[in-house]
Amino acid sequence: MAVSQHSVKGSRREKISIGHKRTQRQQRIFFFSVLILFIFSIVMIDIDGSAIAKGMERLPVILASLTQISFEHFLEMLAGMVTTVVIAFLAVLFSFVISFFLAFLVANNTTPNRYLGLGLRYAVMIIRSVPTPIWVLIAVASIGFGPMAGIIGLMFPTSSFLIKAFSAQIEEEGTEVIEAIRSVGGTWIHVVFKGLLPTILTGMIATLGVRFEIDVHESVVLGMVGAGGIGYLLQSYIQYYDFANLTLGILIVFVTMFLLELSLNRIRALLRTQSS
Amino acid sequence: MSHKKVTMDLKEQKKIKRYFSLIFFLLIVGLAMWYVDFNFIELAKSIPVFLGFIFTDFLPPNFSDVKKYVGPVLDTIFVAVIATCVSSFLAMILAIFMASNTTPHPVFRIVCRGIVSFLRSIPFLLWAALLVVVFGVGVLPGLLGLILYGTAFLARVYAESVEEIGSECTEAIEAVGATYVHQLKHAIIPQFIPSFFSWTLFMFEINLRGSAILGIVGAGGIGSLIKGTMDLFQYSKTSTVIMILITMILVVEYITTRIRERII
Repeated sequence: MAVSQHSVKGSRREKISIGHKRTQRQQRIFFFSVLILFIFSIVMIDIDGSAIAKGMERLPVILASLTQISFEHFLEMLAGMVTTVVIAFLAVLFSFVISFFLAFLVANNTTPNRYLGLGLRYAVMIIRSVPTPIWVLIAVASIGFGPMAGIIGLMFPTSSFLIKAFSAQIEEEGTEVIEAIRSVGGTWIHVVFKGLLPTILTGMIATLGVRFEIDVHESVVLGMVGAGGIGYLLQSYIQYYDFANLTLGILIVFVTMFLLELSLNRIRALLRTQSS
Repeated sequence: MSHKKVTMDLKEQKKIKRYFSLIFFLLIVGLAMWYVDFNFIELAKSIPVFLGFIFTDFLPPNFSDVKKYVGPVLDTIFVAVIATCVSSFLAMILAIFMASNTTPHPVFRIVCRGIVSFLRSIPFLLWAALLVVVFGVGVLPGLLGLILYGTAFLARVYAESVEEIGSECTEAIEAVGATYVHQLKHAIIPQFIPSFFSWTLFMFEINLRGSAILGIVGAGGIGSLIKGTMDLFQYSKTSTVIMILITMILVVEYITTRIRERII
């Protein structure tokens, strides 16, 4: 299919089109409309030419000051980074507990009540469409600055993400196992823990890993809106033009994310070998 | 007899291993909670406060300023469109340098990979905050921040999809005398198009959410409305803005799903 999408254009010999014509035409229409939309957006958006010019003048100075590095606040930043990771970790942990049960209520094949499942599904959809920093802004406004605001702010989008992912994984299992257990008199609890959990657990853990990575990322950002951790430090360095410390902060974030990705990849590979 | 014993030992070993990993995990959880002074009573108290806050202070929404919101909302969408277009173009080039089967030289591959993983590991809001210092408050720093992050994200996923294509096709047409450009045009691009569309549309969804929160660091769009109204404690206006945001994101998600069904 993918190979055949390509047709021999521009050749002087007789053309034999082997592509899927409708898909190709629709792709062309899509490209064209995106191009128009792009030009329209550029025209409509209010970008000040002088701001670009001024910024370009300032850029070399700022880049030069970013090459300086100061280890003055190293320990403080390291502590901040650990707080950031811990906030993400606890948020994922609690969200897992919440979403584990709710996912079984949402999934089509295991929901005890169809309308309950549908209602929860819409609620999840709405929660998910509000970006995480806004949840945290609301949390900070209601319960004050600190890690608790970060954890609660992260829990809502994280739970909704996990519920959506888990329920999709549960639905993939189909109805065979469930019917088999039901037919010998198993209850809903039996279906969940004996029938479905053993097969989907690996997938769930992989999803948790993905979400943890996203949440650490988000948690760095959240510090910038008042949830503690390294983001708060970074934001204050930016505010006071303290570039020497900022450089170190950015490096710490980079190294942490890099190590996290490496270790999560290791865990994923381990899971794959265990499940196969 | 001895055979049975061995399997028993293995089973027991596995059991012990499982216990150890459980204890290790609980230890980490305990340490994590201790580190941020976490306790469940506070959590149990905070969640009702949080939900109560949403339902009492945010509702009912105040629609008095809706006309003022049109500009920032449109800005948010425009920024997302421009950022997605520019970063998908840049990411295509980077991806071709980065993928092991299309890279012109291994050095390119390593350099590009390094840059991309650096750009990607820093959240875009941090890039935007930094660029606000350079370019001043406005749409521009947010746009550039999204482009930086988006390019890095797309370059990685594009490169992965290009690598999945493998080298059979390129080798086949190289054998009949195709140049490097021919190989890209006739072997790589046609197979890459479906994943290109699906990742770019996904990026658009991410960018729309991203562009909606850029205002928090002073980079224009809906985010500045949310931050502004919250700073003035006008929560009923904030909820109107958030409702507009939810509607916008759901509509765009619906549209991208439809596009995905049609062109892939």
